[in-house]
Amino acid sequence: MNNLVLTIALPLLGAFLLPVVMRLSQALGLWLGPIILGYGCWLLGNLWFSDISLPLSVAIGGFDAPYGINLYLDSLALLFAFAVQLLGLICWPYGLNQDTARRQALMLLLVAASTGLALSGDLFNLYVFYELAAVATFGLVVASSTSAAYAATFRYLILSGIGSVLTLLGIALIYSQTGTLNLAHLAQLAPELLNNRLGLTAYLLILIGIGVKAELFPVNAWVPEIYATASSRLSGFLAGLLSKLALLIILRLLVLIFDQPEAVQIVLILGILGVISGEFAAWRAKDMRRMLGFSSIGQLGIIFIALSLPDERGLLALLALSLHHLVIKTGLFMLADGWGGSLERLTGAAKRSPVGAALFTLFALSLVGVPPLPGFWAKFTLITELAAQSEPLYLIGLLVFLLATVIETSYLFRIVVKLYSSAETTSEQPEHQQLPGLSLATASLFGIALLTATVLIAPIGDGLQAVAAEAKNTELYIQTVIPATPGGQL
Amino acid sequence: MIFSLLDELLIFSAATVLVALVLGRGLAVGWMVTILYAGQLLVLIKMAALGYGGDPIASELSLSVMGQDLSWRFDALSWFFALITLVAALLTSWFSCGEWERKFKQQGGNVWLFHLAMALNVFTMLILLASGDLLSLFIGWELVSWAGFLLMAVAGGVATKAAMRYITYAVVGGMSIFGGIALVYAAAGSLQYEAILIAVEKMSTGQLWMLVLLFGSGFGIKMGLLPFHLWQAAAYAETPGPGSAFLGAISSRMGLFAILLVLVKLFGIVNIDSLKIPFTLIDARDLLAWIAVFTIIFPTYTALKQNDARYLLAWHGIGQGGYMLLGLVTANSLGAAGGLLHVLNYAACQAALLMAVFAVMHRTGTADLNKLGGLVTRMPLSFLVLLTGIIGLAGLPPMNGFVSKWLVYRSLLEDGMPLLFLGTIIGTLGTILSVYKLIHNMFLGQLRVEHEPVREAPWSMMIPMLILAGTIFVTGLLPGIPLTWVTAALQTIGLTGPEITLGGIESSSGSLDMIWVIGVLFAGFGIGAVIFYSAGPSKRVHQLDNYAGGHFLTADVRYQYSDNFYSGLMHLIKGWYRGSFQWLENSITSLVEFLSLGMQGIYRRANSEFYLLSTALFIIAWVVF
Repeated sequence: MNNLVLTIALPLLGAFLLPVVMRLSQALGLWLGPIILGYGCWLLGNLWFSDISLPLSVAIGGFDAPYGINLYLDSLALLFAFAVQLLGLICWPYGLNQDTARRQALMLLLVAASTGLALSGDLFNLYVFYELAAVATFGLVVASSTSAAYAATFRYLILSGIGSVLTLLGIALIYSQTGTLNLAHLAQLAPELLNNRLGLTAYLLILIGIGVKAELFPVNAWVPEIYATASSRLSGFLAGLLSKLALLIILRLLVLIFDQPEAVQIVLILGILGVISGEFAAWRAKDMRRMLGFSSIGQLGIIFIALSLPDERGLLALLALSLHHLVIKTGLFMLADGWGGSLERLTGAAKRSPVGAALFTLFALSLVGVPPLPGFWAKFTLITELAAQSEPLYLIGLLVFLLATVIETSYLFRIVVKLYSSAETTSEQPEHQQLPGLSLATASLFGIALLTATVLIAPIGDGLQAVAAEAKNTELYIQTVIPATPGGQL
Repeated sequence: MIFSLLDELLIFSAATVLVALVLGRGLAVGWMVTILYAGQLLVLIKMAALGYGGDPIASELSLSVMGQDLSWRFDALSWFFALITLVAALLTSWFSCGEWERKFKQQGGNVWLFHLAMALNVFTMLILLASGDLLSLFIGWELVSWAGFLLMAVAGGVATKAAMRYITYAVVGGMSIFGGIALVYAAAGSLQYEAILIAVEKMSTGQLWMLVLLFGSGFGIKMGLLPFHLWQAAAYAETPGPGSAFLGAISSRMGLFAILLVLVKLFGIVNIDSLKIPFTLIDARDLLAWIAVFTIIFPTYTALKQNDARYLLAWHGIGQGGYMLLGLVTANSLGAAGGLLHVLNYAACQAALLMAVFAVMHRTGTADLNKLGGLVTRMPLSFLVLLTGIIGLAGLPPMNGFVSKWLVYRSLLEDGMPLLFLGTIIGTLGTILSVYKLIHNMFLGQLRVEHEPVREAPWSMMIPMLILAGTIFVTGLLPGIPLTWVTAALQTIGLTGPEITLGGIESSSGSLDMIWVIGVLFAGFGIGAVIFYSAGPSKRVHQLDNYAGGHFLTADVRYQYSDNFYSGLMHLIKGWYRGSFQWLENSITSLVEFLSLGMQGIYRRANSEFYLLSTALFIIAWVVF
């Protein structure tokens, strides 16, 4: 089962070797990254279909948890790890020069760190991988080397830096209370040692720190600028996946350790604020990428609302919304590759690239939640679950969610209408930006995935339900990592 | 797997969409699609037993997604609405074949998209009508909304703006329903009708009010009920001709269908007295009735102001929806039958009227009521169709509109609701005034010089128009035929219909027999004709023979009395047009704009994160130490 480590180790190794290899042989350098990621996909895909019973815990270096470091693999982790490798492959910065070599190395680093985030079983490693991902992201954003990118990255750097410090502080607080950082072990100790004000403080620190990447309100001020300046493929990866991985950490913390009403409530409130601020800001955005960035904040807000739901169906809603947003946002950012910049220029763009316009419409419809597209089922699960809660705050969440959908429709379909309107200003602006073939192909891939999911919605729903049930099972987590002890005492 | 008739219908309808999609750029697609609509109608007729109280027909298809069971079936109510939908689709599609299509293409229209959008509209409407639980109802509802958006946006330009406005309203409505569904699900644990019926009995008044408001406003938006009516006129009027006639005839009735199914059948709103508004004398039912009456009055008088024939009719469509709702919420057997019958009668009238208007537009290129006139000599058949239509719309004998409106008036009087009755009379007055403006400014008066060469509309348009005109008369003469279906439909939602005879209804407080009414009317015409022809020789006057206001004008000075029509009346009532709803809509838009600016401001402030994080840090430090 040590193969699992390879999914982190190989991209990490590749990241350091790539610049060297590129000098030796360009052909090999060109293929090194995709081969590593492809192998990772194959490895994880195999795991999914093999008869190995999940969840399982892999001890690294021969020391068993809680004393050694472990990787924890349940269906949820596997799903996200696979998504990381696959999306890394899809968003791969293809190219053949020294500059892209640097980008490719950073991308491999990002993939390694992200996979680590999905699989790690202890807080400290999560922190390390989180930092690693942050560093790789800075490098990748700056790689577009425009002054706007530098400014945006600097802002992101500062925010992310403060976030890291806060996270570390939170982790330190936890360690000072419990003496361990292993999640399973913490889950055992938490009811006694962390169910107090100090525990809550530690949680808040980590939430705000990690929330920077998860686009949590109010530490998401970096989002619009970074997405507006980074390459679309990178923005797709960041908005689509990295934010979800940060979310995954918060989810694990909430499920395993901080199972307290206050902890959940703060997530709900911040989620609601995120939805309001993001969607309203997107409504006036004049630029495609900024609009997508704001809309991403809003969507993540909705996902945070789902995160605050207490039971299994809530987790199902969270998973469905996250995966849906992953597909849609990445797809939309691919389209922004050619259509970035002012929205005004998109007038009549459907004539030039009908496929792109059709994809945009499809994504918009699903994002709004038009049945029978998958977005509808995700939203349906969310609202029924919200309405079932007795806390009035959840009903406010429901209301805000419904309002957000209206605003979302308004700004997304203004663009759709613009795309399909006949271009009256052709004499003024003869050249529309063309969609690059690669981005269009990638976006088509996401479109096909979306349509496939529409048809297969029933089995997918059942699958996600199983994943959610497994992830919600604290006892199972503890038993898997520390099998010797019956849950409760060490 | 054996297909039921419903499956056949839905597959047929889906096949129509497919044909429009794949072969839509080929030749004669209009005819092909029209024949397919006829095929769908045949399948529907095979289900005719439903209209006479037959057992519901279920679809073999049922799904279970994320723990939700979805099913589809047809009962008498669905069948009644589906019949109107398919007849409207067949005739409007027929109208579009041949010449209209060619001209549309010449003007840069996308015929393929038009037919596709029409086929999609029909298909989604059938899905909605077939829904067997609240979730499939919502799915159908959303599909209908978006299909409607597509059809409205086909024309581009102004139409797209109207369509955008429509979809914003529609999504507000959709989300309102979505929220209602979530609450229902939380209360009943299921979205099957049986479970909801049980849960409704246990609900508190507050819960019930919440649901009635959410579903009522959601469905009401599609019906164009006040205050959600602003989107409808432009959206319907700007749709390409046949599409406009189709939407005008049936589209917003989907809202009525849903209201019947959810508010009347599930929540039993017409039978519940507990839904009282505190400190007033009215309950939920009265509230709906008053909304219905205001929906009759305001849009009808807005229609009176319009100078575009399409807009005039579209505004009327909103008002007529009020009669239907009003009849249904009075819920005695006469009113309910009248309200539901008016759906059919109105659909026939509106489709005929809009087709006549678009036929005129096809020939003259304009629907501006100030630029037409005297066309009766050039397009006599269209005139006849329009005349039939306006008599029906105004609710006068011998056309079908009289029957349904008579039933509604009668029920209001019987139930002792004189104020509501007065409201409907005011509305009808507005209708008569504005339809007279319509026919006068288009067909009467003197022909304009530029319209000298105009010919009658082509037969591809004329035949469907004449069929509709015939329908309007026949259902007026023999209202017993549709009333039987209406009664069967009412039974499915727990209401009872009146005693039916072929010529009308049988009631202890006063029967209606249209065969007699029309007989007497025609006898009157006969007497008039006898007097006319026995009075000696008559003089034929040419259309251009002017004699106005005591001044003699020569025939080369055309005299048009259409500009600023009803100026005296308008002078009297213009103070009442305040545009309050428009103001309301604008202020909501401004509010969103303002909030949006503010939110962008939050993200634009460069150092916000600094302030925020440092405060967070201080607070946390304070908690820890």
